Amino acid sequence: MNMSKIASRAFPAFAIGFALYYAPAYSFTGANSTFTWPLFTYFPAVDQWNWGLVPGNDTIGPPMWWYGWIASAALVGLVCAAISLLLPERATEKLWATMVWVVPIVMFLFLWNWERVWFSL
Amino acid sequence: MITFLLVLHGIFSVFLLGAVTHHALGVFWPRKPGQNDFVARARGLNPMGYVQAIIILYVIEFTLGAILYPTYRVLARPPLQDLQLTYVIGLFEVKENFAAIVLAMLPAYWYFWKKAPEYKTTRAAITGIIFVVVWYNMIAGHLVNNARGLL
Repeated sequence: MNMSKIASRAFPAFAIGFALYYAPAYSFTGANSTFTWPLFTYFPAVDQWNWGLVPGNDTIGPPMWWYGWIASAALVGLVCAAISLLLPERATEKLWATMVWVVPIVMFLFLWNWERVWFSL
Repeated sequence: MITFLLVLHGIFSVFLLGAVTHHALGVFWPRKPGQNDFVARARGLNPMGYVQAIIILYVIEFTLGAILYPTYRVLARPPLQDLQLTYVIGLFEVKENFAAIVLAMLPAYWYFWKKAPEYKTTRAAITGIIFVVVWYNMIAGHLVNNARGLL
């Protein structure tokens, strides 16, 4: 299998998997989340890294989950890319070429709708 | 150091903005034969020539933003919360999320442009997404910085 044949499915699948995980990860992460959406948490005030979802407090300061969401979403993207290589190339060619831009737009709209709360407080 | 990186972030954002704007003009409003005015010359380019530059500039911009983010989280955001300037925080939240999703689209962006002239719709759509996100992020970043800088 040459590089072009891998890229035709793996690259779009990576983008799709990443977006499909990232948007709900951002939206549904909270201090009381039952699912650990970010792979790790960073506490910039004390320069401390913790695995998984860790809420902040007055001692360690505010948490940053953004790096952790990106890492988790990248892993999901890689899994999607690997799965895409198991699917027939010709039958899924148009699907990847369409989903690679439709899915991010849907996720942008999902995020925008979720984040409207910031503009209405 | 943070101020230097923030200025660098701003400078590279101008480069990126210029590249994506030229690219988008070349895709959506290409120059026609005989058009030689200033605007037409800005549109008259080979879009493929911009793809690698956009990818490199985007990765640099994203990396600089990721380095600056902790300082924003610790120094800039708490005062915004205290002042109840939630729309400024919202502008930044949208920016960080859009930036991450576009970062993951860059390999596909490169691939579909490499396959030109195939996948015309896909190439145009991804180019349009990157154009909108880069412009939004540039404007939102400026507004956030104007509301509360990193120092």
